[in-house]
Amino acid sequence: MHEIDVKAGLLAPNDAVARENRHLLAEHGIYAVNLMSAPGSGKTSLLERVLPALAVHHRVGVVEGDIVGSCDKDRLDRFGGPVHQINTGAACHLDARMVHHVLHHLAEDGCDVVVIENVGNLVCPAEFDLGEDDAVMLLSVTEGHDKPKKYPLMFRRADLVVVNKVDLLDRTDFDPRAAALAVHDVHPGVAIVSTSCRTGEGVGDVVAWLERRIAAKHAARPASSGVEAR
Amino acid sequence: MHEAGIAQNLIEAVQQRLVNEPGARVAAIHVRVGELSGVSTDALDFAFECLAASTPLSGARLVFDPVPLVVACDACGQESPVEDLVFRCGVCGSERTRIVSGRELEVRTLELEDETEVAHARD
Repeated sequence: MHEIDVKAGLLAPNDAVARENRHLLAEHGIYAVNLMSAPGSGKTSLLERVLPALAVHHRVGVVEGDIVGSCDKDRLDRFGGPVHQINTGAACHLDARMVHHVLHHLAEDGCDVVVIENVGNLVCPAEFDLGEDDAVMLLSVTEGHDKPKKYPLMFRRADLVVVNKVDLLDRTDFDPRAAALAVHDVHPGVAIVSTSCRTGEGVGDVVAWLERRIAAKHAARPASSGVEAR
Repeated sequence: MHEAGIAQNLIEAVQQRLVNEPGARVAAIHVRVGELSGVSTDALDFAFECLAASTPLSGARLVFDPVPLVVACDACGQESPVEDLVFRCGVCGSERTRIVSGRELEVRTLELEDETEVAHARD
């Protein structure tokens, strides 16, 4: 019996495509955000509010990930920009390969911002890098404030945590302070904003956060990147 | 629920490595699994058993080597284990920490049966 070394990462095939995606986005000066949450936390409702605001200054493309159907795409089509539906069939998350060709389309379409709405799931999407610049995750008050300690990888991955449905706070036992403490145990220092997609409260904070990140990405783009002007 | 895809990646990674080891028979595959890798080892074991059945890796054992979750602190420079999913520095309490281990999900080594052992087994 003898032993030989392998040292192969088991998510390496996904990570390799994610690197290609990141390169593609950098080459075209596109900022991409991966929006993740449990099913029904309000990702699509948040986008209905956020996309028109971003579209004032940017050409925004959307990648809509769902297991089946196009309910969310139909809602988001109203904002007027390109919305590409990806149906994963049975897969519980988007992976880098699934979004790769859509990113090409959106780049050719002249988008400078891409919003990827992942499949509703607090577990699997956290493990699959898509090549995005930032991950934004929603935690709605109806889910309970204990979720960060139950799904640490997702909260660890997030660059912004949006506590949604705050209009329901007085109808639930959700404790915003306990939620913030749990989020910061798992991910010290991560930004948290509170929103209600029904009243519009806090949506401006999400837009402002995204605009800052978009500006940072666009500023980082080299003046002569060798990419043909569109 | 994606352990099947990970098991497939594992089988491909091992078979690729075996290109340089003609005739080798794999007894065991050592996999490093970080505490925060997000993978169920039971589910991975099951998926591997099913998918490997039709390959030369059929019968190989998966051996999981757990890797503890550890953060390094940018404030005090020390490393500390993450307990109860609190990622602040265990030494100075700073929030400026980075994960240094615990996200691993990789095939580390293979145990191969030597040709003589394989020949004996055939006798």
